[in-house]
Amino acid sequence: MIKQNTVEKDIYLPQLATVKKAAMLNETELYLHLAMDGQPLDYVPGQFVEVSLAGIGEAPVTIASSPTFKDGFELVIRKVGTVTNAVHKLQPGDKLGIRGAFGKGVYPVEEAKGRNIIFICGGIGLVPQRSFINYVLDNRADYGDVIILLGTKCQSQRFFLDELKAWSQRSDIQFIETVDQGEDCWKGNVGVVTTLIPKIKSKLASAVIPVCGPPVMYKFVLMALQEYELPHENIYLNLERKMKCGVGKCGHCQINHSYVCMDGPVFKYSDLGVMPEAI
Amino acid sequence: MSKPRIAIFDFACCEGCQLQIVNLEEELLDLIDAVDVVEWREAMSEQSHEYDIAIIEGSITRPEDEKRIEVIRSRAKILIALGACATIGGVNKLKNNFDLADVKKCVYGKSADMPHLDTALTKALDEVVKVDYKIHGCPIDRKEFTYIVRSLLMGKTPDIPLYPVCVECKAKGNPCLWDEGQVCLGPIIRAGCGARCPSFGFRCFGCRGYVDNPNVNAAKDIIEKYGLTTDVLKSKMLLFGSMQEPTNA
Amino acid sequence: MTIKKISKDAFGKFVDGLIKQQKVMGPCAKGDRFEFEQLDSSSQLRLDYDVTLRPPNRKYFLPPVETLLTCEVGGGYQSVYDDTEFVLLGIHPYDLAALNQMDQIFSRDNYDTHYMKRRLAATIIACDVVTPSKDVFAASMGTATAEAGFDVLLTDIGDSYLMETGSPKGEKLIEKAQGAVDAAAGDLEKRKNIWKENQGRLSKHKLNCSSSYLPKLLEKAYSHPVWEEKAKTCFSCGSCNQVCPTCYCFNVQDDVSWDFTKGTRQRAWDGCLLDGFTKVAGEHEFRKKREDRFRHRLYRKGKYVPEKLGTKTPACVGCGRCVSACLPDIANPVNIYNRLIDDLGLE
Ligand code: SF4
Ligand code: SF4
Ligand code: SF4
Ligand code: SF4
Ligand code: SF4
Ligand code: FES
Repeated sequence: MIKQNTVEKDIYLPQLATVKKAAMLNETELYLHLAMDGQPLDYVPGQFVEVSLAGIGEAPVTIASSPTFKDGFELVIRKVGTVTNAVHKLQPGDKLGIRGAFGKGVYPVEEAKGRNIIFICGGIGLVPQRSFINYVLDNRADYGDVIILLGTKCQSQRFFLDELKAWSQRSDIQFIETVDQGEDCWKGNVGVVTTLIPKIKSKLASAVIPVCGPPVMYKFVLMALQEYELPHENIYLNLERKMKCGVGKCGHCQINHSYVCMDGPVFKYSDLGVMPEAI
Repeated sequence: MSKPRIAIFDFACCEGCQLQIVNLEEELLDLIDAVDVVEWREAMSEQSHEYDIAIIEGSITRPEDEKRIEVIRSRAKILIALGACATIGGVNKLKNNFDLADVKKCVYGKSADMPHLDTALTKALDEVVKVDYKIHGCPIDRKEFTYIVRSLLMGKTPDIPLYPVCVECKAKGNPCLWDEGQVCLGPIIRAGCGARCPSFGFRCFGCRGYVDNPNVNAAKDIIEKYGLTTDVLKSKMLLFGSMQEPTNA
Repeated sequence: MTIKKISKDAFGKFVDGLIKQQKVMGPCAKGDRFEFEQLDSSSQLRLDYDVTLRPPNRKYFLPPVETLLTCEVGGGYQSVYDDTEFVLLGIHPYDLAALNQMDQIFSRDNYDTHYMKRRLAATIIACDVVTPSKDVFAASMGTATAEAGFDVLLTDIGDSYLMETGSPKGEKLIEKAQGAVDAAAGDLEKRKNIWKENQGRLSKHKLNCSSSYLPKLLEKAYSHPVWEEKAKTCFSCGSCNQVCPTCYCFNVQDDVSWDFTKGTRQRAWDGCLLDGFTKVAGEHEFRKKREDRFRHRLYRKGKYVPEKLGTKTPACVGCGRCVSACLPDIANPVNIYNRLIDDLGLE
């Protein structure tokens, strides 16, 4: 016998949200500050939403704000596909659909308490990490040393500049940045993000290490971390896949047996051993 | 918002795809409501040099056509190739398999040497200019055509299948024509037509062109299994696949 | 549970009666093949069919294309449902096993109202196989006969059918069957023999291990050369996905009305073998190699899905459709699993 569900909520039905603020962060990244028209969005760092535009489609987007941010929520959307192109035309006051928040594999906000955290971010990978970073900064006393490593392709692609500046001025965290290709006006580090790792190697040993970046980055970060022989359960990887449904049905996001939309998007490195397709 | 201006041009083709547009019936009125058609030889006499979207039917067969298409390209924001002649060279490419002089003699007999009958190797549009979107098929599928136009007017990239005709054929519950002894090109031809031909019991002859990554090894393998020779397969691939990479493999 | 016997004539009348009350979908001839269609009369019904082109469970509960929502551009969204009552008459035990599996998938974790509304509106009359198809291997997968998941189970015992009920819905349905009598001990004996025979007859390919061993077998087969060898001649045509009763992947697409004010969102069958299945908007394709996609399907059938659901039956029910549908003849799960057993042994 099959069970009848009494709640009968349509898992594919988006709820409306209103754009409060929209701004380009660089040439490709759009910042959206949204508020749900109905029930506020309930989420934890690492979760994502499906952004829906009527007649155009849906795209999965990780939430950029921390749940400690009480005034709605924030997304950063890269202009890459048909949906995100259309999202880029939104103006304050416009409506869009939101489903979610989705994902049970999230950042270890509880497990990381009292421990050092080293965030490794590549490019737009800063966005999902920012949710956790801001959460930690808003609950600073609960955590040990906090280090943020950020690598961006070139100076013009850097975004959240005010926030980056504020981070670099704080004395209770360490923020180290690099760009892959340095220009004349760039005074900081030049090189890929992995070149920053030796600078903080004394802190690696028992730290929680969340990593997020473009698909190609993970292999290099993991290679760089390998020589320090860290326990794999301390490393958290935020993985991207094609996601159509967000609710474990459509099959697109599967990595071996695992569904990124359900079991991820954040995975412990130690759990990826049985998922050869992951990296 | 002002309506986007559309111009429709034809090159070497049978105009069958334009006929599909004319035959849209009610939807044609919707289309004409949504856009501003500024040039369309098949349906109107006005001409215009100002348009946002150029829809081009037919393939490029003469040097002067190359010049004409380049001018159109420079004026259009979006250029759409309409139908097999434009997207892959279509049936017109058949002549590339023969000596050009012979083709002309065969088609035009004695007058073959007159200059206006100049003919060069047939080219698909994207061999001459940048093509933004392709509406495949010979003729095009009306449903797909309207979907693509609506998508573009909405500012979204239309989803054009990457997968082969078999997908749509199976989803429709058709029995496979290979089991009836037909050499159907479905497994290597791009879907989007709703498996038009196999649904009526005719093999797919490939009018939508190959998928991006057709497995020619597999094709050779199955013709052996079905007791055919590679030449048979090749000859079946010629009508629309002339001078395309996989046909020669 | 009730077991009744009904003559074939009376059964025909019973079906004609049903057709007057609700939609009845049953197997019909399509050329020299078969397909489930809506019946106008019991005379179209071919309960002696071997296998249908499309699996009925997918055709009716997760149809090839289905509208999920309508929406107003810049406005709200409304769910679109289809919950017309109907009878699915004549589904074979292997397809029934696939149906039961899909019921779990769409009701667990995140309850899929679109699938489930249709499912709850249906009455399932299963039917034991009369004519085995040329590639069926249900016996190897434990799905040659049906134990549960039906409202009524039919068995052809010659001049009549036995009807066993499996739910209150089924009980109510067969109350309407005029001329049905309680089955006698001899009839049940006949049915038992048919079940026994079907174990042998639905075995055109034979898996050399118990189907519950497959997850274990696959645990050590990930880098086996068979994936690449077979995939060399794979068209990535997705036929093996499209015809499979246990495949349920789908794509979602929007369209818009000509005045650009109303949209629809539809889902349509998709397949993990297809090029582009894992391609994200930034153009990166995660499972790009043919052999990786080819392997994924066999792992889903043999390991991922049964482990996820915690069932003994694998996500291949042995219908044989992919075997017949694959032109290069590489899709047969039994051939692949047996090859792995040959090379890797049973322990
Ligand atoms: S594509 Fe086909 S129908 Fe269209 S113009 Fe060319 S030959 Fe004619
Ligand atoms: S008939 Fe052609 S398109 Fe249809 S399944 Fe067979 S090969 Fe593919
Ligand atoms: S089935 Fe093949 S030949 Fe027929 S319309 Fe489709 S692509 Fe063209
Ligand atoms: S295994 Fe066979 S049916 Fe499946 S995609 Fe490959 S060629 Fe097509
Ligand atoms: S894998 Fe093949 S044999 Fe198994 S259930 Fe699917 S189609 Fe049938
Ligand atoms: S996104 Fe559909 S299953 Fe994960």
